[in-house]
Amino acid sequence: MKRSHLVGLTVSLLLATSSQSILAHDPVFGIGPHVLFKGGTEVALEIHLEKAGEEKESEVGLELVYGITGDWAAGVELPYAYKKEGSESSNGLADIQLFTKYRFWRQDSLGLQESAAVMFAVNLNNGDEKAEPKLGNGANDFITGLTYGYESLKWYRWASVRYRLNGENDVGFHAGNKTLVDFVAGWRPTLPEYIKPDTVWLLELNTAISEKSELNGNQLSNSGGIESFLSPGIFWTMRNFAIKAGIQIPIYSDLKGSQEKSDYRAKTSFEWHL
Amino acid sequence: MKKLIMISLVSIWTNIVFAADTQYDMRVDGLACPFCAYGIEKKFTKTEGVKSVDIDLKNGLVIVKTEDGKTFSEEKLKEIINDAGFTMISMTEKSL
Repeated sequence: MKRSHLVGLTVSLLLATSSQSILAHDPVFGIGPHVLFKGGTEVALEIHLEKAGEEKESEVGLELVYGITGDWAAGVELPYAYKKEGSESSNGLADIQLFTKYRFWRQDSLGLQESAAVMFAVNLNNGDEKAEPKLGNGANDFITGLTYGYESLKWYRWASVRYRLNGENDVGFHAGNKTLVDFVAGWRPTLPEYIKPDTVWLLELNTAISEKSELNGNQLSNSGGIESFLSPGIFWTMRNFAIKAGIQIPIYSDLKGSQEKSDYRAKTSFEWHL
Repeated sequence: MKKLIMISLVSIWTNIVFAADTQYDMRVDGLACPFCAYGIEKKFTKTEGVKSVDIDLKNGLVIVKTEDGKTFSEEKLKEIINDAGFTMISMTEKSL
């Protein structure tokens, strides 16, 4: 397997990890404990852009979520990706993600909700791994996470940790497992009124710690490391419609060997609760 | 004749009393964002007999008006609010 292919796979994994489940009043890049009301449906369209050196990726994802109970939601994300690496480009359906989130603790008081949730997701291996650049990594990957959120009429804060356990594909490549840690603060400049437009400004600190990738059991030197991002964002809503947008700006990078550093990542989503 | 008048009066009174509109004022905790509160509106408005739903985030109030004699028990209101992801603390009921 060529080095460029391995780097491509690593970038695909980074993208797939960061573009997961939108779910209501959660951070743009991190996760929060929000779920959906019982019997409710969420339809969201998400656009994700990423650049790292010569590699560029764009992805449009359709996400559908259903509220099983007031504290438990499950859904699916169908991503369509366009990738460019040097002179090569590819596009098509990327790995589909199935996910669920359960809010196991909720403390409500006047104008304030504190809660915590666990999440679990699986990235299927349907993306075309023969395309160049690859649209999938050829393996099923599993993600689990824990998140806490404090939401008041004025201030927000979230903290979360996720662990991604990557599978091994047919040619014996195993992308390094990954830990993601997120801290987020939010501020609402004007007290909200129901049905009127509402804006919350967000600032996230996102860190991704990658373990070494392996090919047939041998560790790859140009893999693994740490990247941290400072990510300003906005959450704008009106009744049952929301727009979320943010950009990840790299502030720290310690990638092992020769790897392209991230230039930026950006995400916008349009979300309806039905 | 007297009997007939009495029956008519009772029938009219019954209709007035039992088909009256009702207002429920609920104190709800956890209301921190209008987007999330939409679940409350959705849960109530798809219930037959609910005329309107108003939400006051700052004071943690949900006001539901019903028609055609539709009534809710306190337990049912708590269940609806909980299914929307919030906690009902108290409620008052009044005929309109």
